[in-house]
Amino acid sequence: MAEEKTTQQFDPEAILEVRNLRKCFPIKKTFTGKVKQELIAVDNVSFKLKAGETLGIVGESGCGKTTLGRTILKLHESNGGQIIFEGKDITNLKSSEMREIRKKMQIIFQDPYSSLPPRSTVGGILSEPVEVHNIVPKSQVKDYVLDLMDKCGLRDYYYERYPHEFSGGQRQRICIARALSVNPKLVICDEPVSALDVSIQAQIINLLKKLQQDMNLTYLFISHDLSVVKFISDKIGVMYLGSMVEFGTKEDIFANPLHPYTEALFSAIPQPDPDIKMNRIILKGDIPSPANPPKGCRFHTRCPKAIAGLCDEVTPEYRDFGNGHCAACHLLNKD
Amino acid sequence: MEEITKNEVMEDTAETEEVPHEKTVRLMSPTRMVVRRFFRSKLSIIGLIMVVSLFLFSFVGPLVYTEWGEIELDESGKTEYSISETTYTVNGEEYTVRQTTEKTLKDNFLAPPSKEHILGTDNEGYDIFVRLMYGGRISLIVSFIAVFLITILGVILGGIAGFFGGAIDNIIMRLCDILICLPGVPILLIISTILDASGIDAKYRIYLLMIYLTFISWPGTARLVRGQILSLREQEYMVAAEAMGYSTSRKIFKHLVPNVMPQLIVQMSLSLGSMILYEATLSYLNLGVKAPYAAWGTMINIISTNQDILQNHLNVWVPAGICIVIAVLGFNFIGDGLRDALDPKARR
Amino acid sequence: MAKTNKNYLSGKEIREIAKENKKVMKRLEAEKYRKADESEYITQLKNSNNILEIDNLHTYFFTEQGVVKAVNGVSFDVPTNATVGVVGESGCGKSVTSMSVMRLLQGPTGQIYSGEIRFKSKDKNGAEKIYDIAKMPIADIHKIRGNQIAMIFQEPMTSLNPVFTIGQQLDEVTFIHNPEASKEDAKNKSIEMLNLVGIAMPERVYNSFPHELSGGMRQRVMISMALASDPRLIIADEPTTALDVTIQAQILDLLRDLKDKIDGSIMLITHDLGIIAEMADYVVVMYAGKVIEKGTVDEIFHSPMHPYTIGLQKSKPTLNSDSDTLYNIPGNVPNPINMPAHCYFKERCNKCTAKCSGEYPNMIQVSPTHFVACHLYDEEQKNG
Repeated sequence: MAEEKTTQQFDPEAILEVRNLRKCFPIKKTFTGKVKQELIAVDNVSFKLKAGETLGIVGESGCGKTTLGRTILKLHESNGGQIIFEGKDITNLKSSEMREIRKKMQIIFQDPYSSLPPRSTVGGILSEPVEVHNIVPKSQVKDYVLDLMDKCGLRDYYYERYPHEFSGGQRQRICIARALSVNPKLVICDEPVSALDVSIQAQIINLLKKLQQDMNLTYLFISHDLSVVKFISDKIGVMYLGSMVEFGTKEDIFANPLHPYTEALFSAIPQPDPDIKMNRIILKGDIPSPANPPKGCRFHTRCPKAIAGLCDEVTPEYRDFGNGHCAACHLLNKD
Repeated sequence: MEEITKNEVMEDTAETEEVPHEKTVRLMSPTRMVVRRFFRSKLSIIGLIMVVSLFLFSFVGPLVYTEWGEIELDESGKTEYSISETTYTVNGEEYTVRQTTEKTLKDNFLAPPSKEHILGTDNEGYDIFVRLMYGGRISLIVSFIAVFLITILGVILGGIAGFFGGAIDNIIMRLCDILICLPGVPILLIISTILDASGIDAKYRIYLLMIYLTFISWPGTARLVRGQILSLREQEYMVAAEAMGYSTSRKIFKHLVPNVMPQLIVQMSLSLGSMILYEATLSYLNLGVKAPYAAWGTMINIISTNQDILQNHLNVWVPAGICIVIAVLGFNFIGDGLRDALDPKARR
Repeated sequence: MAKTNKNYLSGKEIREIAKENKKVMKRLEAEKYRKADESEYITQLKNSNNILEIDNLHTYFFTEQGVVKAVNGVSFDVPTNATVGVVGESGCGKSVTSMSVMRLLQGPTGQIYSGEIRFKSKDKNGAEKIYDIAKMPIADIHKIRGNQIAMIFQEPMTSLNPVFTIGQQLDEVTFIHNPEASKEDAKNKSIEMLNLVGIAMPERVYNSFPHELSGGMRQRVMISMALASDPRLIIADEPTTALDVTIQAQILDLLRDLKDKIDGSIMLITHDLGIIAEMADYVVVMYAGKVIEKGTVDEIFHSPMHPYTIGLQKSKPTLNSDSDTLYNIPGNVPNPINMPAHCYFKERCNKCTAKCSGEYPNMIQVSPTHFVACHLYDEEQKNG
């Protein structure tokens, strides 16, 4: 039966398809190891990603965007749903079988300081994956790495240096070079620019865009900053407390945001122009704890347009409002 | 530790017109930074001097100073006088007759420091200075072996526990708990009695006992390694290694273990001190090195045979005590200095 | 040339650096811990309308690898009842400037090397005195720190002591500045403060421990703690960087509100141009330990003059822009040790001229409030 499933649902255009993905972390266990209470980090998330596209995932801390990225890479075991990569269901692969697929999916982390091993040189960091996965013959490894460093804007004399000698932007370039050293198809960028300065952010974003064209990469770009996501993405998914509240093409989301949370996110970003006197939607209250999410629509505690009796009782349905623009909100169903 | 080649810098000089500013900035190499921070503390310099001089004393000393051997008795003879008094009562008056007996003995024991014996001889007639050197050899070798074994065992078991977690972790850690609960010295006494009874050569007993010490001491190192690995495993570069699809052994031995090394080196130098102390205690309790072989503990143990030595012959047992203090203090100072030098948080 | 290009310092050089540092550090430390009469550090303000004047401040860190000139000749004023935004990238010295004002530098490595920080202080009786904070001995700093100048830190997670309740920590502030206050008074004041920063259930928060509160709530508590002593100057060091955007919007809204309610000035330190545009009246742009441009918020955002300010504004992606690639400033912030003698921005600048290889440019006044340090505008000064 399982085999039948995989063959029937393969979308030839999509490089990655996620169906009803769910990831829970146990927070309380009984003595015997039975899970008493769970934190639902990713709840019922589905989307498709075409090769060569960039999907931006936006949300605040605790919305599960990082967990989503890592679950897709199978750095966390999922608790339900399916991950289909290049037409193959990888949800239940063993870690030894996964190792082959790893070189096709890579990740770039937020913190360029903790994501590089402190005791290897840049050359060592970059040539290790090339050697492990036999990307090029042994004799050509160094040339390959130097070429890669050049592509990522790293000077050749960095080869013998250690990560601690570099600034954040240069370290992030090293991380990008490491991720690309195995010629991946899909790169998950987990807040790659949030730890960087504005002028360096722009460099890294442009570098990522350039590399995408050169190497035909597909990005899953996770960020809390809508303006960055707008720059790099073709499609955008907005997450709140573990679930996808809105999904659509960049144009649709920006021209016509459906969900009140998306609207609030747009208006929350300070604009570098003193003349734009904002008409801010300031959300009241805090993000509820994902360990104890509110009943009904998860956003209703902070939503300025919440309908009492409906939003705090019934979970809204995640629906397609045309052209793949999906959202989950009761307000949209009224008319 | 890390050799830095300058070749590619030389090659680059062709384009010197545009030397970027960052290239003219020179930093301290990681090794030099550690060395510098180690030597900044006076205590670690003192510790290093202490340990190095003990090593020279114990290992080079016997080669240079060859007057006496470790188990070579001074048979130059010694005259011992004993005085006996007898009291007679004759016609109500007391007479005391004092009689001096002269006895010539074969061994020159309890000799005071002199030209011939720098620190004198002990109650058997062995040269104390020479026995200090040989005792140091035993103590240092034995503690190094023990610490080496402890570290190997600790890294393997702690590494397995930390990396795999779950049931394996539980088993290893509970084993640690049990071993830590065991009262070390009483069990040691029992084992020693058994060894006595089975008649094992006195020279090898100490090694057997050190294996026992290893067995009960590895949990400390294992816990340290496990704790380190647990925290390192959460580091993003380990997640990156996982995402790269590296094999488990590569992850453990190429990425985790080198990063535990600093803490391990500190732990090793600190436990060297405690192993020396342990060895001395064992020898003192007559459980370790047995006469006629020398060990610092055994040399102090002499005081238990004769009250007189404790009071009147300080040259017999104080030097051995000083050696133990120097060794333990020295290793501890080095350990503390290394901890400060290798701690990245102390980097200013 | 090749010889000086070695990657690492030699042992001899390191020993020389250490020797030099030790000498200077010893002198500065002794100065810091000296006993001094008040008359030694009383000065005059250049403009009586200012509350804080920073004049040619140099703050150095004497590290083992050389002297890091984190703040290298910074001058700017904070007028009364105004918000001054200090903006710059990490490592530009904006936080070190605020630490220097608070005298919170970690000694003996971090030291104010020279310069003046003039602050208009007001004691309980309302008498005004001008203190030079840079010359005050550390034992006297309590006259100002915490009651006249308060600070809001970036990390609301670690800035509160986890073993005391919010109430205990807030009351403490009141007790320190008013030792005669009763317990009731302190509690009332604390609750009032929590109300002021828009905490919905102040009684409940008063009795909670820091870990029970969310990041946004903690930052509100931190702000209320800063306000509890009625400061004349609040230094907010990246107050919203650790928070989510929607929470950041709340906190910024609160700060804007508070500015009208309290009688004081705010020095806002941030890397986010958006926040500056929204909050500040005056803007100071810093780069590599120097002020490169300063002016009113309109001047900085509508007619930026320094290539760095222009580049910074262009490289920030905004929701309104539609272009396909972002403008970016090439290169990296230079290493703070051994800064070149020429303009620090030269290697990244796209408008660089032959003159830029010469001396570091002076501050040029282009309007009564607008100053810029760039050779491009040397002409204007001659003409005007």
